Amino acid sequence: MKLLLAGFGFIGKNFIRAVNEKITLLKSVDRDFKVVGVATSQGVLYSSRGLDVDKLSRLEKASQYGEEFEFGGSVKEFLEEGDADIIVVATPTNIETGEPGLTYIRTALKNGVDVVTADKGPLVLEFWELTRLAERNGCYLMYEATVAAALPIFSLYRECLQADRIIRISGILNGTTNYILSKMFFEGTSFELSLKEAQERGYAEKDPSYDIDGIDAACKVVILGNAIMGKKLRFKDVKRRGIRDVTQEAVELAKRSGYAIKLVGVVDDEPEVSPRLVPLRHPLCVHGNLNAVHFETDLAKEITIIGYGAGKETVSAVLNDVLSILKKRVIR
Amino acid sequence: MTLSLPDRPGQLLKALEPIAKNGGNIISIVHDRNKVSGEYALVSLIADFPSKESFRETRRELEGIGISVVKSEEVVAKEDLTVIVIGRFNLDKIVGRGLRIIDVELSNPSSEKPCMKLHVEVPKEAVKGFYNLLHELAEKEKALIITPV
Repeated sequence: MKLLLAGFGFIGKNFIRAVNEKITLLKSVDRDFKVVGVATSQGVLYSSRGLDVDKLSRLEKASQYGEEFEFGGSVKEFLEEGDADIIVVATPTNIETGEPGLTYIRTALKNGVDVVTADKGPLVLEFWELTRLAERNGCYLMYEATVAAALPIFSLYRECLQADRIIRISGILNGTTNYILSKMFFEGTSFELSLKEAQERGYAEKDPSYDIDGIDAACKVVILGNAIMGKKLRFKDVKRRGIRDVTQEAVELAKRSGYAIKLVGVVDDEPEVSPRLVPLRHPLCVHGNLNAVHFETDLAKEITIIGYGAGKETVSAVLNDVLSILKKRVIR
Repeated sequence: MTLSLPDRPGQLLKALEPIAKNGGNIISIVHDRNKVSGEYALVSLIADFPSKESFRETRRELEGIGISVVKSEEVVAKEDLTVIVIGRFNLDKIVGRGLRIIDVELSNPSSEKPCMKLHVEVPKEAVKGFYNLLHELAEKEKALIITPV
């Protein structure tokens, strides 16, 4: 299969490095597997013979690759001309327009190209439209990396909980806020100081509102609600309160009573994101920049998975989605 | 509830086992030797159970080991809750709604963002209403309520 990567930022570059590292595994599943293109905001890098992923994995910019890079090239044309069988969407998240990922995914699915996305914006906005589009065109649309990054949430649900009815999902879905709250918990620092340190370490953006106001976690609640619980959730349906007002005194009072304050996303009849008291022995009580997702089901009762919810570990989920599709396509 | 026990040594102990096993906390117990009817003695007891289910399960288990429950009245289950409030909040507005305040701890009460830990006991059926009330009051006062998961 011919793979096109859209986006050569942090996730895109680390994805290529992981492909380079795991090329033997990928080729063992599909001996014709190759990365034929990388699309960035400046243009498209393309080679019908397949790009040299070893060379690519050492580059900072796709345009440094050589003359195969065409400035101003369009992903849309690329997809419409049938030059790819699978696209990995690693574009920056925009939850207002979903672009550019939304157009890439729509175009891919309309042209029978399988999609693996790490960009959650398109799914937050148009989950059901994209799911139906994939079904109509006989394509796979996979999105493991969009919620809690490396944690295999959708795979777990799809493969291991097929007979279970999911009653409720709750989770620590944002690593930045968990880092800040953990620092307040263990070191007794103020919210402001903890946020500043998170920014200095690169865990939080200069404008941290996307994380600390619960926007990122609410996006994940929308995807979980739609994909796992069959809801018709939109971003505005999620009641949201971030951690801006959580004081060091509150963290201390909670700690003395056997709780940690965590930003928790809940998917049930009243989906919400808010600071909650998590008992110190509860499986959701994870610290640092870890994520945790807790399922309550009718048969298995309770299952919790814990792991890295951001960073280069995200590529584990992306590559697993790619491999799942390769296996299915090769069997056919 | 009132139990009818065979008037033999060890029967009371046997009756207490299912109660303890299901989380029942015995408040009082009266074993009236004057109320022996034939080979049976009546024992009246009051106990708190964590839920209606645990109370009903106790009844089933008692009957399963041959102890008949002559009379029973269901207890109201209660939940022990801890809530944190950040911001100004008037406790008077929640008093007298079936809840019992166990303790209150304040931190930084004179600052712009005072903080209060509230430990209460609420009838299980009233928990959702209690949370709704807290959130409603907090919204008016622009306070932040942090409830347990």
